[in-house]
Amino acid sequence: MLLLAFVALFLILLDTYTQWLKPAHHWLVEVTTPIYWVTNLPRRMSELGDETVVGRAALEDENERLRTELLILKGRIQRMSELAAENVRLRNLLNATELLQDSVLVAELIGVSPEPSRHTIRINRGEESGVYVGQALLDADGLMGQIVEVYRNSSKALLISDSSHALPVQVLRNGVRSIAEGMGDYKQLKLRHVSPTTDIRVGDLLVSSGLGGRYPVGYPVGKVTAVNTMTGYAYLEVLLEPSARIDRSRHLLLLFSAIEKLGVSDDAGE
Amino acid sequence: MPESNQLTYLWGLITLFLGVFLQIIPLSEPLLYWRPQFVILVVFFWLFRNPFQFGIGFAWLAGLLLDIVIGELFGRHAIVFGLCAYLLQLLQQRLQHFWLFHQVVLVFLLVLLNQVLLHSITLMLRDNWQGELLVIPAFTSALIWPFLVWLLSTLLKLQQVGRSLSSDH
Repeated sequence: MLLLAFVALFLILLDTYTQWLKPAHHWLVEVTTPIYWVTNLPRRMSELGDETVVGRAALEDENERLRTELLILKGRIQRMSELAAENVRLRNLLNATELLQDSVLVAELIGVSPEPSRHTIRINRGEESGVYVGQALLDADGLMGQIVEVYRNSSKALLISDSSHALPVQVLRNGVRSIAEGMGDYKQLKLRHVSPTTDIRVGDLLVSSGLGGRYPVGYPVGKVTAVNTMTGYAYLEVLLEPSARIDRSRHLLLLFSAIEKLGVSDDAGE
Repeated sequence: MPESNQLTYLWGLITLFLGVFLQIIPLSEPLLYWRPQFVILVVFFWLFRNPFQFGIGFAWLAGLLLDIVIGELFGRHAIVFGLCAYLLQLLQQRLQHFWLFHQVVLVFLLVLLNQVLLHSITLMLRDNWQGELLVIPAFTSALIWPFLVWLLSTLLKLQQVGRSLSSDH
Protein backbone atom coordinates (compact mmCIF):
# COMPACT_ATOMS: atom_id res chain seq x y z
CA MET A 1 0.00 0.00 0.00
CA LEU A 2 2.85 2.33 0.85
CA LEU A 3 4.37 1.36 -2.46
CA LEU A 4 1.32 2.66 -4.29
CA ALA A 5 1.57 5.95 -2.44
CA PHE A 6 5.22 6.23 -3.36
CA VAL A 7 4.51 5.45 -7.00
CA ALA A 8 1.84 8.16 -7.09
CA LEU A 9 4.10 10.66 -5.35
CA PHE A 10 6.90 9.81 -7.76
CA LEU A 11 4.58 10.35 -10.72
CA ILE A 12 3.44 13.71 -9.37
CA LEU A 13 6.99 14.94 -8.83
CA LEU A 14 8.14 13.60 -12.20
CA ASP A 15 5.24 15.27 -13.94
CA THR A 16 5.68 18.59 -12.15
CA TYR A 17 9.40 19.06 -12.41
CA THR A 18 10.42 17.21 -15.58
CA GLN A 19 9.19 16.82 -19.13
CA TRP A 20 9.71 13.07 -19.20
CA LEU A 21 6.04 12.18 -19.04
CA LYS A 22 5.12 14.38 -22.02
CA PRO A 23 5.08 11.49 -24.53
CA ALA A 24 2.78 9.54 -22.23
CA HIS A 25 0.47 12.55 -21.95
CA HIS A 26 0.38 12.87 -25.72
CA TRP A 27 -0.39 9.24 -26.25
CA LEU A 28 -3.07 9.16 -23.55
CA VAL A 29 -4.81 12.21 -24.99
CA GLU A 30 -5.38 10.26 -28.19
CA VAL A 31 -6.84 7.44 -26.12
CA THR A 32 -9.12 9.61 -24.00
CA THR A 33 -10.47 11.81 -26.79
CA PRO A 34 -13.34 9.36 -27.50
CA ILE A 35 -14.36 9.60 -23.84
CA TYR A 36 -14.66 13.37 -24.15
CA TRP A 37 -16.55 12.91 -27.37
CA VAL A 38 -19.07 10.71 -25.56
CA THR A 39 -19.43 13.15 -22.67
CA ASN A 40 -20.37 15.80 -25.19
CA LEU A 41 -23.20 13.69 -26.58
CA PRO A 42 -25.92 14.93 -24.19
CA ARG A 43 -25.21 18.50 -25.17
CA ARG A 44 -25.15 17.60 -28.85
CA MET A 45 -28.43 15.74 -28.49
CA SER A 46 -30.14 18.69 -26.86
CA GLU A 47 -28.76 20.96 -29.55
CA LEU A 48 -30.00 18.61 -32.24
CA GLY A 49 -33.38 18.60 -30.53
CA ASP A 50 -33.42 22.38 -30.48
CA GLU A 51 -32.57 22.47 -34.16
CA THR A 52 -34.98 19.86 -35.44
CA VAL A 53 -37.99 20.63 -33.28
CA VAL A 54 -38.59 24.28 -34.06
CA GLY A 55 -41.88 25.89 -34.92
CA ARG A 56 -42.44 27.49 -38.28
CA ALA A 57 -42.94 30.90 -36.73
CA ALA A 58 -39.65 30.68 -34.88
CA LEU A 59 -37.85 29.70 -38.07
CA GLU A 60 -39.41 32.56 -39.97
CA ASP A 61 -38.43 34.95 -37.22
CA GLU A 62 -34.90 33.68 -37.27
CA ASN A 63 -34.78 33.91 -41.03
CA GLU A 64 -35.97 37.48 -40.91
CA ARG A 65 -33.42 38.35 -38.24
CA LEU A 66 -30.58 36.73 -40.16
CA ARG A 67 -31.58 38.55 -43.33
CA THR A 68 -31.50 41.88 -41.53
CA GLU A 69 -28.16 41.03 -39.97
CA LEU A 70 -26.76 40.01 -43.33
CA LEU A 71 -27.92 43.26 -44.88
CA ILE A 72 -26.28 45.29 -42.14
CA LEU A 73 -23.05 43.33 -42.36
CA LYS A 74 -22.99 43.62 -46.14
CA GLY A 75 -23.41 47.34 -45.82
CA ARG A 76 -20.51 47.45 -43.40
CA ILE A 77 -18.33 45.40 -45.71
CA GLN A 78 -18.90 47.86 -48.52
CA ARG A 79 -17.54 50.60 -46.31
CA MET A 80 -14.76 48.28 -45.15
CA SER A 81 -13.47 47.65 -48.66
CA GLU A 82 -13.40 51.35 -49.32
CA LEU A 83 -11.57 51.93 -46.05
CA ALA A 84 -9.14 49.10 -46.75
CA ALA A 85 -8.33 50.58 -50.15
CA GLU A 86 -7.81 53.96 -48.58
CA ASN A 87 -5.65 52.39 -45.89
CA VAL A 88 -3.44 50.77 -48.51
CA ARG A 89 -3.08 54.06 -50.35
CA LEU A 90 -2.15 55.91 -47.18
CA ARG A 91 0.29 53.22 -46.17
CA ASN A 92 1.88 53.44 -49.58
CA LEU A 93 2.21 57.17 -49.09
CA LEU A 94 3.94 56.52 -45.78
CA ASN A 95 6.16 53.83 -47.29
CA ALA A 96 4.87 51.52 -44.57
CA THR A 97 4.78 47.76 -44.88
CA GLU A 98 1.68 46.23 -46.34
CA LEU A 99 -0.97 44.97 -43.97
CA LEU A 100 -1.55 41.27 -44.44
CA GLN A 101 -4.85 39.51 -44.23
CA ASP A 102 -5.24 36.85 -41.55
CA SER A 103 -6.87 33.60 -42.59
CA VAL A 104 -9.01 31.43 -40.33
CA LEU A 105 -10.00 27.82 -39.86
CA VAL A 106 -13.30 26.82 -38.29
CA ALA A 107 -13.00 24.49 -35.31
CA GLU A 108 -15.48 22.90 -32.98
CA LEU A 109 -15.33 22.51 -29.23
CA ILE A 110 -15.14 18.87 -28.18
CA GLY A 111 -14.29 19.04 -24.51
CA VAL A 112 -14.07 21.33 -21.53
CA SER A 113 -11.70 20.93 -18.60
CA PRO A 114 -13.60 19.14 -15.82
CA GLU A 115 -11.90 21.24 -13.19
CA PRO A 116 -13.55 24.57 -12.47
CA SER A 117 -10.22 26.14 -11.57
CA ARG A 118 -8.67 25.34 -14.91
CA HIS A 119 -9.98 27.03 -18.02
CA THR A 120 -8.89 24.90 -20.94
CA ILE A 121 -10.85 23.44 -23.81
CA ARG A 122 -10.25 20.79 -26.45
CA ILE A 123 -11.03 21.50 -30.07
CA ASN A 124 -11.36 19.13 -33.00
CA ARG A 125 -8.41 20.43 -35.03
CA GLY A 126 -4.87 19.26 -34.57
CA GLU A 127 -1.54 18.75 -36.24
CA GLU A 128 -3.19 17.44 -39.39
CA SER A 129 -4.97 20.75 -39.92
CA GLY A 130 -1.77 22.68 -39.36
CA VAL A 131 -2.57 23.94 -35.87
CA TYR A 132 0.47 25.11 -33.93
CA VAL A 133 1.25 26.01 -30.33
CA GLY A 134 0.58 29.68 -29.61
CA GLN A 135 -2.08 30.03 -32.25
CA ALA A 136 -4.88 32.45 -31.40
CA LEU A 137 -8.43 31.17 -30.98
CA LEU A 138 -11.47 33.39 -31.59
CA ASP A 139 -15.20 33.10 -31.48
CA ALA A 140 -17.61 35.30 -33.36
CA ASP A 141 -17.29 38.12 -30.84
CA GLY A 142 -13.67 38.25 -29.73
CA LEU A 143 -10.52 36.56 -28.56
CA MET A 144 -10.99 33.29 -26.69
CA GLY A 145 -7.52 31.98 -25.99
CA GLN A 146 -4.45 30.34 -27.40
CA ILE A 147 -3.40 26.82 -28.31
CA VAL A 148 -1.10 25.29 -25.73
CA GLU A 149 -0.89 21.66 -26.81
CA VAL A 150 -1.32 20.14 -30.24
CA TYR A 151 -2.21 16.49 -30.81
CA ARG A 152 -2.86 14.62 -34.00
CA ASN A 153 -6.54 15.37 -34.46
CA SER A 154 -7.29 17.66 -31.57
CA SER A 155 -5.63 20.36 -29.55
CA LYS A 156 -5.90 22.02 -26.20
CA ALA A 157 -6.41 25.75 -25.77
CA LEU A 158 -5.87 27.91 -22.72
CA LEU A 159 -8.66 30.45 -22.38
CA ILE A 160 -8.01 34.11 -21.64
CA SER A 161 -10.07 33.76 -18.46
CA ASP A 162 -7.69 31.20 -16.91
CA SER A 163 -5.90 32.60 -13.91
CA SER A 164 -2.51 31.84 -15.44
CA HIS A 165 -3.26 33.75 -18.62
CA ALA A 166 -2.37 37.34 -19.47
CA LEU A 167 -2.46 39.19 -22.76
CA PRO A 168 -1.35 42.64 -23.89
CA VAL A 169 -4.25 44.91 -24.79
CA GLN A 170 -4.92 48.51 -25.66
CA VAL A 171 -7.90 50.80 -25.29
CA LEU A 172 -9.52 51.27 -28.68
CA ARG A 173 -10.48 54.89 -27.92
CA ASN A 174 -7.01 56.25 -27.17
CA GLY A 175 -4.47 53.44 -27.47
CA VAL A 176 -3.53 53.19 -23.80
CA ARG A 177 -1.69 49.91 -23.31
CA SER A 178 -2.17 47.43 -20.51
CA ILE A 179 -2.19 43.74 -19.67
CA ALA A 180 -5.47 41.84 -19.27
CA GLU A 181 -5.30 38.96 -16.84
CA GLY A 182 -7.68 36.07 -16.32
CA MET A 183 -9.13 35.57 -12.86
CA GLY A 184 -10.52 32.05 -13.16
CA ASP A 185 -13.92 33.55 -13.89
CA TYR A 186 -15.53 33.13 -17.32
CA LYS A 187 -17.22 36.49 -17.13
CA GLN A 188 -14.44 38.70 -15.84
CA LEU A 189 -10.90 39.77 -16.60
CA LYS A 190 -8.85 42.43 -14.90
CA LEU A 191 -6.17 44.86 -15.97
CA ARG A 192 -2.83 44.72 -14.26
CA HIS A 193 -1.08 47.82 -12.90
CA VAL A 194 -3.24 50.64 -14.17
CA SER A 195 -2.08 53.88 -12.61
CA PRO A 196 -4.79 56.21 -11.21
CA THR A 197 -4.08 58.89 -13.80
CA THR A 198 -4.69 56.61 -16.77
CA ASP A 199 -7.45 57.69 -19.12
CA ILE A 200 -9.73 54.68 -18.91
CA ARG A 201 -13.48 54.67 -18.41
CA VAL A 202 -16.33 52.27 -17.97
CA GLY A 203 -17.51 51.17 -21.42
CA ASP A 204 -14.12 51.41 -23.13
CA LEU A 205 -13.45 48.62 -25.58
CA LEU A 206 -10.12 46.85 -25.28
CA VAL A 207 -8.50 45.16 -28.23
CA SER A 208 -5.39 43.01 -28.44
CA SER A 209 -2.34 45.19 -28.97
CA GLY A 210 -0.17 42.60 -30.69
CA LEU A 211 2.74 43.32 -28.37
CA GLY A 212 4.42 40.16 -27.21
CA GLY A 213 3.87 38.66 -30.64
CA ARG A 214 1.51 35.95 -29.49
CA TYR A 215 -1.83 37.48 -30.45
CA PRO A 216 -2.44 39.49 -33.61
CA VAL A 217 -3.40 43.16 -33.39
CA GLY A 218 -6.89 44.52 -33.15
CA TYR A 219 -9.15 41.70 -32.03
CA PRO A 220 -11.70 42.62 -29.36
CA VAL A 221 -10.88 41.35 -25.88
CA GLY A 222 -13.39 42.97 -23.58
CA LYS A 223 -15.29 45.96 -22.35
CA VAL A 224 -14.50 47.82 -19.14
CA THR A 225 -17.26 47.23 -16.60
CA ALA A 226 -15.77 48.84 -13.51
CA VAL A 227 -12.95 51.20 -12.61
CA ASN A 228 -12.45 51.23 -8.86
CA THR A 229 -10.10 53.33 -6.81
CA MET A 230 -8.99 51.34 -3.84
CA THR A 231 -7.67 53.18 -0.84
CA GLY A 232 -4.23 52.00 0.15
CA TYR A 233 -3.37 50.67 -3.29
CA ALA A 234 -1.15 52.36 -5.84
CA TYR A 235 -3.15 51.09 -8.81
CA LEU A 236 -6.71 51.15 -10.04
CA GLU A 237 -8.80 48.03 -10.10
CA VAL A 238 -10.15 47.73 -13.63
CA LEU A 239 -12.53 44.89 -14.47
CA LEU A 240 -13.47 43.77 -17.96
CA GLU A 241 -16.22 41.69 -19.39
CA PRO A 242 -14.79 39.48 -22.16
CA SER A 243 -16.19 40.09 -25.62
CA ALA A 244 -16.02 36.42 -26.52
CA ARG A 245 -18.68 34.20 -25.06
CA ILE A 246 -16.02 32.12 -23.41
CA ASP A 247 -18.22 29.61 -21.64
CA ARG A 248 -20.80 29.21 -24.39
CA SER A 249 -19.32 29.34 -27.87
CA ARG A 250 -19.05 25.98 -29.60
CA HIS A 251 -17.91 27.02 -33.03
CA LEU A 252 -14.55 28.71 -32.94
CA LEU A 253 -12.04 30.18 -35.34
CA LEU A 254 -8.36 29.36 -35.39
CA LEU A 255 -6.41 32.30 -36.65
CA PHE A 256 -3.52 31.78 -39.02
CA SER A 257 -1.78 35.05 -38.48
CA ALA A 258 -0.18 36.56 -41.57
CA ILE A 259 3.00 37.31 -39.65
CA GLU A 260 3.29 33.72 -38.54
CA LYS A 261 3.04 32.59 -42.16
CA LEU A 262 6.00 34.73 -43.08
CA GLY A 263 7.94 33.13 -40.26
CA VAL A 264 8.86 36.48 -38.72
CA SER A 265 7.93 35.99 -35.10
CA ASP A 266 9.84 32.83 -34.33
CA ASP A 267 10.91 33.99 -30.91
CA ALA A 268 7.49 35.18 -29.74
CA GLY A 269 7.31 35.05 -25.97
CA GLU A 270 4.39 34.58 -23.65
CA MET B 1 -22.53 -12.96 -0.63
CA PRO B 2 -23.27 -15.27 -3.55
CA GLU B 3 -21.88 -12.97 -6.22
CA SER B 4 -18.92 -14.29 -8.09
CA ASN B 5 -15.74 -12.33 -7.66
CA GLN B 6 -15.13 -11.54 -11.28
CA LEU B 7 -18.62 -10.25 -11.81
CA THR B 8 -18.27 -7.91 -8.85
CA TYR B 9 -15.02 -6.55 -10.20
CA LEU B 10 -16.69 -6.07 -13.56
CA TRP B 11 -19.46 -4.09 -11.92
CA GLY B 12 -16.87 -2.11 -10.03
CA LEU B 13 -15.21 -1.20 -13.29
CA ILE B 14 -18.46 -0.31 -15.03
CA THR B 15 -19.62 1.95 -12.23
CA LEU B 16 -16.17 3.49 -12.11
CA PHE B 17 -16.36 4.44 -15.77
CA LEU B 18 -19.85 5.84 -15.24
CA GLY B 19 -18.44 7.91 -12.39
CA VAL B 20 -15.66 9.22 -14.62
CA PHE B 21 -18.22 10.20 -17.26
CA LEU B 22 -20.29 12.10 -14.74
CA GLN B 23 -17.16 13.73 -13.40
CA ILE B 24 -16.06 15.16 -16.74
CA ILE B 25 -19.40 15.88 -18.45
CA PRO B 26 -19.30 19.54 -19.44
CA LEU B 27 -21.47 21.74 -17.24
CA SER B 28 -22.15 25.43 -17.38
CA GLU B 29 -20.54 27.84 -14.96
CA PRO B 30 -22.63 27.84 -11.75
CA LEU B 31 -23.33 24.10 -11.88
CA LEU B 32 -19.65 23.37 -12.34
CA TYR B 33 -18.91 24.33 -8.76
CA TRP B 34 -21.68 22.13 -7.41
CA ARG B 35 -20.63 18.94 -9.18
CA PRO B 36 -20.31 16.08 -6.67
CA GLN B 37 -17.09 14.09 -6.84
CA PHE B 38 -18.63 11.05 -8.48
CA VAL B 39 -15.53 8.92 -8.87
CA ILE B 40 -14.60 8.95 -5.21
CA LEU B 41 -18.23 8.31 -4.28
CA VAL B 42 -18.22 5.19 -6.43
CA VAL B 43 -14.98 4.11 -4.75
CA PHE B 44 -16.54 4.66 -1.31
CA PHE B 45 -19.61 2.70 -2.35
CA TRP B 46 -17.57 -0.38 -3.18
CA LEU B 47 -15.40 -0.03 -0.09
CA PHE B 48 -18.53 0.14 2.07
CA ARG B 49 -20.21 -2.73 0.30
CA ASN B 50 -17.44 -5.26 -0.37
CA PRO B 51 -14.56 -4.25 1.89
CA PHE B 52 -12.78 -7.56 1.34
CA GLN B 53 -12.68 -7.25 -2.43
CA PHE B 54 -12.17 -3.55 -2.90
CA GLY B 55 -9.39 -1.80 -1.08
CA ILE B 56 -6.73 0.82 -1.42
CA GLY B 57 -5.57 -0.66 -4.70
CA PHE B 58 -8.98 -0.13 -6.27
CA ALA B 59 -9.11 3.46 -5.04
CA TRP B 60 -5.61 4.07 -6.35
CA LEU B 61 -6.48 2.70 -9.78
CA ALA B 62 -9.67 4.76 -9.87
CA GLY B 63 -7.61 7.85 -9.10
CA LEU B 64 -5.08 7.03 -11.78
CA LEU B 65 -7.87 6.50 -14.30
CA LEU B 66 -9.27 9.94 -13.48
CA ASP B 67 -5.78 11.43 -13.76
CA ILE B 68 -5.34 9.88 -17.17
CA VAL B 69 -8.70 11.13 -18.39
CA ILE B 70 -8.15 14.65 -17.06
CA GLY B 71 -4.60 14.45 -18.35
CA GLU B 72 -3.06 17.27 -16.38
CA LEU B 73 -0.89 15.83 -13.64
CA PHE B 74 -0.48 12.10 -13.20
CA GLY B 75 -0.73 10.49 -9.78
CA ARG B 76 -2.59 13.34 -8.12
CA HIS B 77 -5.98 11.71 -7.70
CA ALA B 78 -4.34 8.33 -7.22
CA ILE B 79 -2.50 9.28 -4.05
CA VAL B 80 -5.41 11.20 -2.53
CA PHE B 81 -8.00 8.51 -3.29
CA GLY B 82 -5.63 5.91 -1.87
CA LEU B 83 -5.29 7.89 1.32
CA CYS B 84 -9.06 8.33 1.68
CA ALA B 85 -9.53 4.59 1.12
CA TYR B 86 -6.93 3.89 3.80
CA LEU B 87 -8.80 6.07 6.29
CA LEU B 88 -12.04 4.32 5.41
CA GLN B 89 -10.41 0.94 5.99
CA LEU B 90 -9.17 2.06 9.39
CA LEU B 91 -12.77 2.77 10.31
CA GLN B 92 -13.95 -0.58 8.89
CA GLN B 93 -14.93 -2.04 12.27
CA ARG B 94 -17.10 0.93 13.14
CA LEU B 95 -18.68 1.24 9.70
CA GLN B 96 -20.70 -1.90 10.41
CA HIS B 97 -22.60 0.00 13.09
CA PHE B 98 -23.02 3.26 11.20
CA TRP B 99 -26.38 4.82 10.50
CA LEU B 100 -27.01 6.44 7.17
CA PHE B 101 -26.58 9.87 8.75
CA HIS B 102 -23.17 8.86 10.09
CA GLN B 103 -22.24 7.70 6.62
CA VAL B 104 -23.28 11.03 5.14
CA VAL B 105 -21.17 12.92 7.65
CA LEU B 106 -18.22 10.63 7.03
CA VAL B 107 -18.54 11.05 3.26
CA PHE B 108 -18.65 14.82 3.72
CA LEU B 109 -15.46 14.80 5.79
CA LEU B 110 -13.60 12.44 3.49
CA VAL B 111 -14.54 14.34 0.31
CA LEU B 112 -13.54 17.56 2.04
CA LEU B 113 -10.17 16.04 2.87
CA ASN B 114 -9.94 14.82 -0.70
CA GLN B 115 -10.58 18.32 -2.05
CA VAL B 116 -8.13 19.97 0.32
CA LEU B 117 -5.34 17.55 -0.58
CA LEU B 118 -6.07 17.72 -4.31
CA HIS B 119 -5.97 21.49 -4.27
CA SER B 120 -2.78 21.53 -2.26
CA ILE B 121 -1.11 19.30 -4.83
CA THR B 122 -2.49 21.42 -7.67
CA LEU B 123 -0.83 24.46 -6.08
CA MET B 124 2.46 22.96 -7.24
CA LEU B 125 1.30 23.52 -10.82
CA ARG B 126 -0.30 26.91 -10.53
CA ASP B 127 -1.05 29.48 -7.92
CA ASN B 128 -4.81 29.33 -7.86
CA TRP B 129 -6.71 28.78 -4.65
CA GLN B 130 -10.48 28.81 -4.86
CA GLY B 131 -11.96 28.26 -1.43
CA GLU B 132 -15.45 27.46 -2.70
CA LEU B 133 -14.07 24.42 -4.50
CA LEU B 134 -13.29 22.77 -1.17
CA VAL B 135 -16.58 22.82 0.67
CA ILE B 136 -19.27 22.91 -2.01
CA PRO B 137 -18.33 19.63 -3.78
CA ALA B 138 -18.00 17.93 -0.39
CA PHE B 139 -21.43 19.16 0.55
CA THR B 140 -23.12 18.06 -2.68
CA SER B 141 -21.27 14.73 -2.58
CA ALA B 142 -22.60 14.04 0.92
CA LEU B 143 -26.11 15.05 -0.16
CA ILE B 144 -26.09 12.76 -3.16
CA TRP B 145 -24.57 9.81 -1.25
CA PRO B 146 -27.84 8.18 -0.02
CA PHE B 147 -29.33 8.36 -3.52
CA LEU B 148 -26.20 6.93 -5.07
CA VAL B 149 -26.12 4.02 -2.61
CA TRP B 150 -29.79 3.35 -3.21
CA LEU B 151 -29.40 3.51 -6.99
CA LEU B 152 -26.34 1.28 -7.18
CA SER B 153 -27.68 -1.29 -4.71
CA THR B 154 -30.97 -1.49 -6.59
CA LEU B 155 -29.07 -1.92 -9.82
CA LEU B 156 -26.97 -4.72 -8.36
CA LYS B 157 -30.01 -6.39 -6.80
CA LEU B 158 -31.85 -6.36 -10.11
CA GLN B 159 -28.86 -7.86 -11.81
CA GLN B 160 -28.67 -10.61 -9.17
CA VAL B 161 -32.36 -11.39 -9.53
CA GLY B 162 -31.94 -11.53 -13.28
CA ARG B 163 -29.04 -13.90 -12.94
CA SER B 164 -30.79 -16.25 -10.51
CA LEU B 165 -33.84 -16.31 -12.79
CA SER B 166 -31.78 -17.22 -15.82
CA SER B 167 -29.89 -19.92 -13.89
CA ASP B 168 -33.23 -21.46 -12.82
CA HIS B 169 -34.17 -22.14 -16.40
